[in-house]
Amino acid sequence: MTRKTATIVNKLGMHARPAAQLVSEAVRFEADIFLIKEGLRVNAKSIMGVMMLAAEKGSEVTIEAEGADEEMAVAAVDRIIESGFGEEI
Amino acid sequence: MPYRHKILKGLPVSAGIVLGRSKVILPGDFRVAEVAVAAYRIKDEVAALESAVAETVRELRHLRDTAGKKIGGPVAKIFDAQLLIAGDYEFLDEVKKQIREKKRNAGFIYSSFIHTATRPLKRSVDPYLRQMTQDIEAVSRRVLSHLSGYQEISTVRLPSDTILVAESFTPGDILNYRNRKARGFIAGEGGENSHMALIARSFMMPMVVVDVLWRQVPDNCRLILDGTNGVAVVDPTDDEWTEYQRKRKRQGPAAVTRIKRLPEIPPTTVDGVPIHIAANLELPGPVDEILSAQKIPVGLYRTEFLYLENYSFPDEDAQYRFYMRIAEKYSQSQVTLRTFDLGSDKVKPDGFLPHEDNPALGWRGIRLMLDMTSAFKCQIRAMLRASVLGNIRIMLPMISNLTEFEKARKLISQVMLDLRRKHIPFDSDIPIGIMVEVPSAALTAEQFARRVDFMSIGTNDLTQYTISVDRNNTHVASLYNPLHPSVLNLIKMTVDASHKYNIPISICGEVAGDALALPLFIGMGVTQLSMNPARIFDACRLVKKIDSNLVRLLVGSVMSGGTASQVKRRLESYRNTLEKK
Repeated sequence: MTRKTATIVNKLGMHARPAAQLVSEAVRFEADIFLIKEGLRVNAKSIMGVMMLAAEKGSEVTIEAEGADEEMAVAAVDRIIESGFGEEI
Repeated sequence: MPYRHKILKGLPVSAGIVLGRSKVILPGDFRVAEVAVAAYRIKDEVAALESAVAETVRELRHLRDTAGKKIGGPVAKIFDAQLLIAGDYEFLDEVKKQIREKKRNAGFIYSSFIHTATRPLKRSVDPYLRQMTQDIEAVSRRVLSHLSGYQEISTVRLPSDTILVAESFTPGDILNYRNRKARGFIAGEGGENSHMALIARSFMMPMVVVDVLWRQVPDNCRLILDGTNGVAVVDPTDDEWTEYQRKRKRQGPAAVTRIKRLPEIPPTTVDGVPIHIAANLELPGPVDEILSAQKIPVGLYRTEFLYLENYSFPDEDAQYRFYMRIAEKYSQSQVTLRTFDLGSDKVKPDGFLPHEDNPALGWRGIRLMLDMTSAFKCQIRAMLRASVLGNIRIMLPMISNLTEFEKARKLISQVMLDLRRKHIPFDSDIPIGIMVEVPSAALTAEQFARRVDFMSIGTNDLTQYTISVDRNNTHVASLYNPLHPSVLNLIKMTVDASHKYNIPISICGEVAGDALALPLFIGMGVTQLSMNPARIFDACRLVKKIDSNLVRLLVGSVMSGGTASQVKRRLESYRNTLEKK
């Protein structure tokens, strides 16, 4: 199990477009990946799930992965979040 | 047969006239009945769901690919969201698990999950989440129709004069009905800038949004749809039918294809003065072939669609590809790209923005972009990179004071410096201009004319701000008059300022295409009139009847008319003299 906490840095937070971007990235990995925010735990490969998180700027999201490529998976998702999803920070 | 004749008035979102028959689509209730399933049949239920989803994914891919071919990248991306939803296998696994645990039919479990998921989304402040809800429901309708074996999504060709009537349409619906040869749409909801409206416009299919009145249209009855004026006539009389047949000749796809027959571009007046008739565009479409072949310039290319796709600012490379495609398509003419004009009636870029009491006077246009500097610079970079062919101009919307312009200019210079440092080529002489649509800019037009490379008058908003009227507000819409003396004064001030400093001046509001007003603007010395492509043919023909010296005199007589009705009378009397020729 690999786990890391990332902070949402972009102005508009994790609204629907970043959610779609994150899911598109997550599905590339074999490992099971979850996102946890304030007790809510969602599957990072499910657009329906990730959209629910709606994390605003400044909030913390924990990334958890379990599986063969779990370290790469966590690193990739972390990178997307910390880079602000390519949006205005 | 009961007398059903009525005239419905609504919001015109896509121009053109159709004379045809209605086909009413009632909202399908996709709640499925709950049925207990025997243990030995559960495996089949699960398999049926899997195959319904797989079929849906195949359909969506096909739709996306055909949309891509017909219109191009940006429109095809609208289907990506639906594909992401349909391909959500985690969600599907949850549904399958429930089917096994509860031993119920796939349709019931699936639709229950969808309802639970969409309920909180419907109330979201984020417009993209609300749009996603529509996409989720569209996907689930496909899945459920495959499950039930009932082919709700048909590919059957419709009778050739069909006008669809429904509460709302998704972009997929528009594409689907267009493929089935439908001719127009009446919708209960949807704004001018909704995806549905943008696609309808790009296909030049007329559409009117009539709010709850859509339910008053009977199925399979004669119907006239006037997408230019926002009117639908149910069960028209023979006289109305003939009248609209006449009007139709002047509008819609026919009006655009006629452009091919124009002998010379730009058209010249009787005394040989060239007047640049240009097009207002917002999306790639079939009209590009015709316009570019005739070398017609684009006086206003709106870029908001790029934002509206995903309710966020697209990355630089995606924007660059979009602008480059336009620059290449119109390589023989000039294209004026307008930077993002968002906010207010168009769209709130931030779903979490505090509510604005007065959005028209608020955080929009250039003001918004100056606060989102990296998004602004990103768009400028993409536009500059696409300017290498030398046919691009950049235009800034809603400039209300010099400081706004100067800040924007400075940011543009920073981007240029950066591109130079990185040896990325761009047109260093690229003209940077402004939209004059706020009264404060028109009233101080000389200050701008000294500093900008060109000006373009946005008469739609200029009229609204000057007369203080919201043309979408039915209580006061009749006050909207772009030929009101107050507005004409502001237009003339701006035109005169541009002459003083010898910079190009154009008008890109709707009134630029108004046959009544065209002579007046030519008389004032406006060098470019940019309009809806459907009006270009008539405008070019009108130019050839005008004597630029005579219309200069017309300006004097019109501007001395103190009231709107005097202005109208004098313009009409001039038009009558033209018609006699």
